[in-house]
Amino acid sequence: MELLNNLGVNGKLLLAQLVNFAILIWVLHKFAYGPILKLLETRTKKIEKGLKDAEKSQKKLAEIEEKEEKVLVKARKKAQEIIKKAEELAVENANEIVIVAKEQTEKMLDISQKQIKQEKEKILREVKSEIATLVVSASEKIIGEKLDSEKDQELIKHSLK
Amino acid sequence: MDISLTPETIFHFGSFPITNTLLITLIISAIIIVTSLFLKKNLKIIPTGFQNIIEYILESFLNLIDSVTHDREQTKKFFPLVVTIFIFIILSNWVELVPGLGTIGINVAKNGHSSFIPFIRSSSADLNVTLAIALISVFSAQFMGIAAIGAVKYAGKFFVNPFRKPYFIGTFVGVLELISEVAKVISFSFRLFGNIFAGEVLLLVMLELVPYFVPVPFLFLELFVGFIQALVFAMLTLVFLKIAVTETSH
Repeated sequence: MELLNNLGVNGKLLLAQLVNFAILIWVLHKFAYGPILKLLETRTKKIEKGLKDAEKSQKKLAEIEEKEEKVLVKARKKAQEIIKKAEELAVENANEIVIVAKEQTEKMLDISQKQIKQEKEKILREVKSEIATLVVSASEKIIGEKLDSEKDQELIKHSLK
Repeated sequence: MDISLTPETIFHFGSFPITNTLLITLIISAIIIVTSLFLKKNLKIIPTGFQNIIEYILESFLNLIDSVTHDREQTKKFFPLVVTIFIFIILSNWVELVPGLGTIGINVAKNGHSSFIPFIRSSSADLNVTLAIALISVFSAQFMGIAAIGAVKYAGKFFVNPFRKPYFIGTFVGVLELISEVAKVISFSFRLFGNIFAGEVLLLVMLELVPYFVPVPFLFLELFVGFIQALVFAMLTLVFLKIAVTETSH
């Protein structure tokens, strides 16, 4: 005890320092370590989560891009197919239309030719019959008149010309 | 030049002596408490400036303690004690670097001759302070040991039955362990006290002999010593805590 006294150890002061230090530990634990360590932990977790999320989203993006490419390729193929089909169909249709048109024109030509022929024949027949009546009436008139030699002669000459 | 092994009493508060080291202790505690309150108030998830420094220090300690305990739960238990010891001791060690050490003070007439009482004295150069911290450190180790492995098993470290295997050797080692627990208090408190008190004396003597320039390297030396002593105290506390909570294996 004598030694401790000489070294300056004093019961009151020692107790005061003990209490002091204990309070210091408590305050630091409560106000510094606790909140800061908690903060550090949450930040670590947040960063981890952020990194994970970033990785995930990158993966997803790559997947989506791949899918997009696939879909695009498919769509292009399909579009080409559709165009090809449409072209084929169009060509076929055109041929058909041409054929049908040709047939129709031929038919119409035929019909019109036939009609023209019939008309012609009809007209001819009518003309013939008219001419006949005319000839008959003319000849009646001529014959009804006195036939003199002069006239006869003239007629003959005329007919002979 | 007066060099006193004991802290000087500035005045008495009732019968309670207010020494210069007690004042310094209170000032350091106040600074630490105010800083921590300020820090807590301004804690941000995205750290800036001062918070960065503190976070860096605390995280370094967290990793350091983790490397000893290998257990996050234990680390969280040890952390407050170990880090507070470090922060408090390093600040009180560095008080000796404050200009005015041993020079600012009052002259007091005592027993016929006047003696000089400096206001600034590193609180680590007071055996009361170092002894108090050493007692807290060693007693915390006992409590944590009992809490971690149970009172019976913990007592079994010190009191070994002499009629079981390793017989008397075990008993003897147990008694040695018990003595070493007491020795820890002494080695803790005197190591820190001796180092810092010697540092103060060294600085004072240097200042007295060559006032200019020559004390500068010694200031750097004491800066280093203050850091090392704080680290040693904290690390030893950590190791003793770890030993206390670890069961003895046979």
